[in-house]
Amino acid sequence: MNSNHLFREFSRRELLKRSGLGVGWMAASTVLQESLHANPSTLNHHNPHTLAARRPHFPARAKAVIHIFANGGPSHIDTFDPKPKLEEYAGREIPGSLKTERRTGAALPSPFQFQQHGESGLPVSELFPSVARHADRLLVVRSMHADVPNHEPSLLLMNCGDGRLVRPSAGSWVTYGLGTENQNLPGFVAMCPGGYPISGPANWRSAFLPGVFQGTYIDTKKKNVDELVECIRHPVLDEKLQREQFELMAALDRKHLQQRKNDAALESRIASMELAWRMQFEAGEAFDVAKEPNHILERYGDTPHGRQLLIARRLVERGVRYVQVWHGKDQPWDSHQEIEKNHRKLAGEADKPIGALLDDLVGLGLLDSTLVLWGGEFGRTPTVELPNDAGTKTATGRDHNHHGFTVWMAGGGVQGGMAYGATDEFGFQAVEDPVHVHDLQATMLHLLGIDHKKLTYRHSGRDFRLTDVHGRVIHDWLA
Amino acid sequence: MYPLQKRPVIQIAFSVSLLAGATFPVGSKASVFDDERFFETKVRPLLVAKCYECHSEEISEAGLRLDNHQSVLKGSDVGIIVTPGDIDASKIITVIKSRGDIAMPPNEKLTAEEIKILEEWVKRGVPWGGAGSEKDLLSNGSNSISERIASAEKSHWSFQPILRYEPPTFPEELPTRLRQNWSRNRIDRFLAVKMLEQGIQPAEEASPYAIIRRLSYNLTGLPPAVNDVEAFVANPTETAYRAYAERLLDSAEHAEHWARHWLDLARYADTIGYAFGGQSNKSPFAWTYRDWVVQAFHDDLPYNRFVTLQVAADLITPEVSKKDLAALGFLTVGRTFRGNIHDIIDDRIDLVTRGLMGLSVACARCHDHKYEPVGIDDYYALHGIFASTETPEELPVIGEPPQNQEAKAFAEKMAELEQNLVDHEQAIYDRALREAVAHAADYLTEVARPSEKKDGRLPQMQDGYEIRPLILGRLERLLRAKNPSHPILGPWVQLSKVPDDTFAADAGGVLDQCISSIPNLNMCVKQELISTKPHSLKDLAAAYGRLIARVADSGNEEAISRKESKDLHSIWLIFGKIGTPFVVLEKEWKSVSKRSERDEHSRRKRKILAHQADALGGPPRAMVLVDKAKPTESFVFLRGVPGRRGEKIDRRVPQILGGKLVDKQTSGRRDLADMIVNPENPLTARVFVNWVWTHHFGHGLIPTPGDLGLRGEPPSHPELLDDLARRFIDEGKWSARWLHREIVFSQAWRQSSIAQPEVLVRDPENTYYSRSRRRRLSWESWRDSLLVAAGTLQLSPRGGPGMDPLDPSNGARRTLYSWVDRQDVPGILRAFDIANPDTAVHVRPATLVPQQGLVMLNSPLVIDAAKKVAERLLDEYNTQARIEQLWKIVFARNPRRDEVQRVQDWIERAKGSPSGDFGVWPQLAQALMATAEFQYVD
Repeated sequence: MNSNHLFREFSRRELLKRSGLGVGWMAASTVLQESLHANPSTLNHHNPHTLAARRPHFPARAKAVIHIFANGGPSHIDTFDPKPKLEEYAGREIPGSLKTERRTGAALPSPFQFQQHGESGLPVSELFPSVARHADRLLVVRSMHADVPNHEPSLLLMNCGDGRLVRPSAGSWVTYGLGTENQNLPGFVAMCPGGYPISGPANWRSAFLPGVFQGTYIDTKKKNVDELVECIRHPVLDEKLQREQFELMAALDRKHLQQRKNDAALESRIASMELAWRMQFEAGEAFDVAKEPNHILERYGDTPHGRQLLIARRLVERGVRYVQVWHGKDQPWDSHQEIEKNHRKLAGEADKPIGALLDDLVGLGLLDSTLVLWGGEFGRTPTVELPNDAGTKTATGRDHNHHGFTVWMAGGGVQGGMAYGATDEFGFQAVEDPVHVHDLQATMLHLLGIDHKKLTYRHSGRDFRLTDVHGRVIHDWLA
Repeated sequence: MYPLQKRPVIQIAFSVSLLAGATFPVGSKASVFDDERFFETKVRPLLVAKCYECHSEEISEAGLRLDNHQSVLKGSDVGIIVTPGDIDASKIITVIKSRGDIAMPPNEKLTAEEIKILEEWVKRGVPWGGAGSEKDLLSNGSNSISERIASAEKSHWSFQPILRYEPPTFPEELPTRLRQNWSRNRIDRFLAVKMLEQGIQPAEEASPYAIIRRLSYNLTGLPPAVNDVEAFVANPTETAYRAYAERLLDSAEHAEHWARHWLDLARYADTIGYAFGGQSNKSPFAWTYRDWVVQAFHDDLPYNRFVTLQVAADLITPEVSKKDLAALGFLTVGRTFRGNIHDIIDDRIDLVTRGLMGLSVACARCHDHKYEPVGIDDYYALHGIFASTETPEELPVIGEPPQNQEAKAFAEKMAELEQNLVDHEQAIYDRALREAVAHAADYLTEVARPSEKKDGRLPQMQDGYEIRPLILGRLERLLRAKNPSHPILGPWVQLSKVPDDTFAADAGGVLDQCISSIPNLNMCVKQELISTKPHSLKDLAAAYGRLIARVADSGNEEAISRKESKDLHSIWLIFGKIGTPFVVLEKEWKSVSKRSERDEHSRRKRKILAHQADALGGPPRAMVLVDKAKPTESFVFLRGVPGRRGEKIDRRVPQILGGKLVDKQTSGRRDLADMIVNPENPLTARVFVNWVWTHHFGHGLIPTPGDLGLRGEPPSHPELLDDLARRFIDEGKWSARWLHREIVFSQAWRQSSIAQPEVLVRDPENTYYSRSRRRRLSWESWRDSLLVAAGTLQLSPRGGPGMDPLDPSNGARRTLYSWVDRQDVPGILRAFDIANPDTAVHVRPATLVPQQGLVMLNSPLVIDAAKKVAERLLDEYNTQARIEQLWKIVFARNPRRDEVQRVQDWIERAKGSPSGDFGVWPQLAQALMATAEFQYVD
């Protein structure tokens, strides 16, 4: 895929300059209705409407984000927030039960064993043995809370900072602010096997930000690269024939450009076509995990979850800014009943590849600059969800719980081996150092070198930001 | 006639003296903008140099500050220092001229010229602009909302009346050629004189080929036909140009293209957004709004009427045609926010205020706007207008169903579903009547001896039957009205009064008395009571129950009459006739139905609505909204939270636009519409004119087309904008087509996009319109152009439900007729910058990303088109002819010799490579369609 000879009429340096940062682009991009207000003096926004990499407000700890989304609401009590007190109350009502979506009853102790791991002694349940190997790298935030106990608004809050209104996703904000390191790949990728999570593409939408910042959705149930990435290959022509064709087009374009006195907008367009040409190979290659050696594939496992986390690693290696990896279509972690069976199955799918991902990031020296975030849109109740009137349910699961839940992070400049904040003795509500979703987002942006109050976009007469008028950076998390 | 051929470049030396006359044109009314410029260039420097030392923020001698407008007008500790317009009365002039006690500046006298400037300043009314102006103070957000409104009303440009301005005159020395070219219309003079002032040389006229291609794309979104290009290039006269433009303006394709621009503003999409639990999120009749917009542009509906219909078509007298009701889709095609009414209203407020007037009202949902002259009261005054509307359950039919096979199937299914519904209602009615009659005795007992009510609920019978309030109420009223001597009910009235414990003993006597004392005692009643010999109220009620059953079972009146029983007929009249207590009206079925029956009824009803919505072949419907029977009272929601009510607000238009109260009897949408299109509304025409201008020139006279507020950018050519807007109303009578003509007939619009290097330096952003802006085709125009080249574009039938634009097998209609899910906009469309369908978009952003290139290189859409282009070449037998044909198909022009040569060489080399159904010619066609030339308009 070396294409040097193909573009000999342009110097590579010139091309790169024009790919995003060139003055030429300014001329083309002034046809813009809205103006950027991300403090241009610090955020190096020569042209905010390309994906060219831009300097952050201040030195970043993390360059990339991998957000592993356990959609549906994983139970914190059964994974990272042990509550032995529930044993004492087993089968009895607990004091101070809070309102959630459905009616719940008595305390339901976790059916899973917890063990302390690493030097830090961070407790992790038997569900996540591979993640537990990295205990000393985890920052477990046990005092998360959100606004409502329903999936749709909570997903949107976690992703877009607002549960109701049409707002850009965090990935869109981040790529808008920082661009991306590799122009041959999309800057923001959202992977989910088999279809969309609840609320669909709204979870990675760019809303009023330009479409270029929208997440690129990949259905990782598919294996074939041509199916994974839209328009990545010519359906008929092989590389040699396509190159002949491309060269003719490029020659016609150069002539066209000459006759127009080297118009900057046209120059950028030509450069962009060349990027597209290279993207065919680079993106194809990045998403093609089949080329990984067998021992690597085995560590991740040949499952959608294994493949998509391996892809995530490959993307981050190649400079993709923001990668979101969803557990599956709809809301797989939503264990309203038979939580023991369901959570065991789900964690069984997720644990090994997450462990492998963390191993690889450590091994490649990428973990320091990559923030890995794991969590759902909320957690689950310490009390059992009551069967419904129709009697089609058994009392074996937990309801949604937005009052208190857990997410964990690793790498990207956060402290390891640390449990931050706490829920009450039953795990119902965040009581110690509560962290709202806005705070998580503010801190995530901070790790990326962005001041969440300054990353704004003028729309509909006012300056919008991911955290709206909320959010505070939690400095205790920083390594 | 001005031939459109290339002319030699006219070189003029732009000297300062040449331009001097153009700065403040004599003979034309000085505008606000002239004044501000005068202040900025002449007065402020003088104040800074000579006065600030003692009269500004740091030191304000004698309490006087001359660094902001308000302070200047306020004066010093001693009193006012200026009387705007009156030199003699203005102390400031006296003191600068004086050499007496108070002479300013104290150390040095101002020069005569400087004094003259200040005199001129006072004469002009002490204008101010920029730093220190009211607007400037405002945008620091310090004032109260009422101050802000008052001040914006007085000094912000967009709230000033739209005035007509005389274009400035050209300097004498200007070469005739340039003067002639740039005098095509008023637009040209405004632009040219300003360019000359800046020492900018306008671009040459574009070549006839470039002009006609630009004209075709701008007016219709489609490439020109090759024969039109050839005809015009052979004879590029003004007459031919104008005739071509008129033809395009009259075309349906023109209406379609501009409708798409408008749909961006109307945040059009074909779904409501997110729908719960896998329910359909379709907005099935959104397309009727889209088609209405196309028709409106085709009819050149005056813009004021266009807007009025979209805001209030249902409130216009005389009533508008059914078809025009579709205009209301403007308000209703938005996202439904999972049913949150306040978010829906917010969306509509933003659409109407920012979309149509460039005023950001939606920001005042939680508190007074921080910068703009818009208060939270203004927001909730509008909120009340929209809260007083609702969507009817069934949308009105506005046309005939299509004449096709689907229509027949649709009608049959519809009839079946409707019959199901009617059958169900009938079944409910029959069941209810039967059961009510069977329980007639229970009803009578309940009237005589009301049972204790639990939670206000009527008792349930042992067989599960529930007493119906409707029947019980009627029965009570009937019995209450009848006296003890009533021929039928008299015995009931008398006997039911006998206490229960003595009933067995006393009833016989009372009955005997009834029989003897009631004059016309009904024979049937008499027989029934005698044979029953009631020993309890229950017996009595049962006796009457049997009588009721006889008449209620006996069907219609004739059946009773045939029995020739006058007495039975009398009973029928009070218990058997429709509308009597037990025989309720058919339309009252709901009041006597069971919950399960109502649920089933809703299910059947929903099936009908779903069929209307989803099935092909149904009649079109308008996505209307209607006023509620009674307008909703509106309250401020503190911090925007519906639960926190603040003060009550009368429905009215925003204060900054007059604050007029709207009609109290209706929602007031009509008044809102009237305010928006009032010829004196300072915003509407400016926004629209600028919007059309932006789509023609690539950038607006107002750089922020959706924001005319204090934080938006001021117009680059304010007099031109105002002159055009005023004439659009007065001369053009709100005709969009008038506006198109003004623009495309101007010289400015016909310039070449090739700029001289020195112009790029002087006017890098093309602020002065010193050349044409080269533009990329929109997603729609690009896809349409592929189909034109492929020879497959189907221009008709137009309208109707949308299709998937990415599937080549889906027919080849114009891209306008796409079906777009706002919840899941395909990545390709987003990559090509289609408008975000969740907010009013005046101009799309323009991004350049390699994903666009990938689509051109590999998408099935392009490959399919390339194959079809190649098929169109088969008639030509030699390579050169094919190449020429290919160029005509793709570029609507002949190839140059070097292009033919290059392609011939390429074909030579490519020979022998495997072809299949994607051989040399399709490959070539694809390459051409991926060029910048295909995708950009000069």
